[in-house]
Amino acid sequence: MPKKMRRSRLIGASRSENAIHLVLAAAFIFLTIGSHAAEVIPPKPPGYFADYANVISREAAYRFNEQLAQFERETSNQVWVVVYPKMQSDSSVEDYTRRVAQKWGVGQKDRRNGAVLFVFVQDHKMFIQVGYGLEGALPDATCFDITEFQVKPHFREGDYEGGLAVGIDSILKAIRGEYKGSGKTVAEQHRGSRATGLLPFIIFVVVLIVISRMIRRLGGYGYSSGRGGPVFLPMGGGGWSSGGGGGSGFSESLGGGGSFGGGGAGSSW
Amino acid sequence: MNRFALGCIVVLLVLLFVAVSVALAIGGSYNRLVRLQQAVDQSWAQVQNVYQRRADLIPNLVNTVAGAANFEKSTLVEVTNARASVGRVQTQIDPNKAPTDAAQLEKFQAAQGELSNALSRLLVVVERYPELKANQNFLSLQAQLEGTENRISVERGNFNKTVQDYNVAVRSFPTNFIAGPLGFSPRPFFTAQTGAERPPPVQFNFGTPAPAAPAATTSP
Repeated sequence: MPKKMRRSRLIGASRSENAIHLVLAAAFIFLTIGSHAAEVIPPKPPGYFADYANVISREAAYRFNEQLAQFERETSNQVWVVVYPKMQSDSSVEDYTRRVAQKWGVGQKDRRNGAVLFVFVQDHKMFIQVGYGLEGALPDATCFDITEFQVKPHFREGDYEGGLAVGIDSILKAIRGEYKGSGKTVAEQHRGSRATGLLPFIIFVVVLIVISRMIRRLGGYGYSSGRGGPVFLPMGGGGWSSGGGGGSGFSESLGGGGSFGGGGAGSSW
Repeated sequence: MNRFALGCIVVLLVLLFVAVSVALAIGGSYNRLVRLQQAVDQSWAQVQNVYQRRADLIPNLVNTVAGAANFEKSTLVEVTNARASVGRVQTQIDPNKAPTDAAQLEKFQAAQGELSNALSRLLVVVERYPELKANQNFLSLQAQLEGTENRISVERGNFNKTVQDYNVAVRSFPTNFIAGPLGFSPRPFFTAQTGAERPPPVQFNFGTPAPAAPAATTSP
């Protein structure tokens, strides 16, 4: 008797379960096939320097990040350096890196003063992508000079830290003086303005309370103070949450919306 | 006042209201079309900019390459001639207004295409001259040429996008009635060069110049 029950349970369950499993397997296969062919634009790195290939020591990475952040404070130019293990695209390096840099929006929107040094370790390719605003200071010939004759000898020997140090120094030297900085990075400016953004709202609420009190005194309808309270609370709740949401977004995004026109050059080693 | 006069006044007011709304709508569409057309002209000017940049690099390139020992002159002559023909077509094109008919754009594209072909043939021939490939000046020029080619493809892409936005606005339903009378017509796009899907012929018999361009490319 138990055997019969087991068999029937298996047969009864297996048909629909099999069908579900088949559908899921087919979906999984199609999804993975699709994802291999697609090009991937990687997400924005969290800082000025990002090493996704683990070829740079932590101290050097921190040092580079600070150097680039300080450069933005002094000159308002945003220079990012990103090291990837592999280029996730079938396109050419100059085309792919331009689209990635454009998506990230490096550099300020009006000045378009962004530059990104991309390094693809396994592909042995590097490219400096230069925004419209820096094309005068960092022309293609200079970019090529930096990648081919200054960084490449180090990379050839596997000295990624030395190569990037030289490359960053050369890039910063080339574009220093092109724009004036404000002493703050874009991220720091936004963080500061979040607090000041709430101030006008607070003043507005206070003014409303004062006006409503005056109206009550004039009108003389005898509203109790309890009536006025609930009107302000929901507005206040909405206001705080929108201010908080805006603030948390800014600390991650460093890009200012700069655009890239295809300038720059690179080398392979 | 009798009802007839009142009725007339109401009808007149309604007609006035309708007329004013229609005028505002047309005005809004017209402004939008003007804005989009300006965007097209601006991106066309940018395209001209980057093509000019490439043309300006050519003399320097020709001088550097001619300095190499025994460099065969035929490819250099080809490049110089192609650049001259680009200059001729340039004088017939207004850099500040995007071309309004496809034939004009085709002519411009063909001239630039000849120059591209001549340049790529030159770079193929350069492969045979090792002292040129090691020359720092030449390498820098090559990097600059690649840079201008990148910029050309970016600006052509931007131009095509602005033309698309403009064409969609001109052809869309309510706007297409007023676009024609007001002088807005669809603009042509940049297309892929005819013959681009075929790789250029490369011959490795050294000592003889590379063959002429395939007959499919239109000449100016």
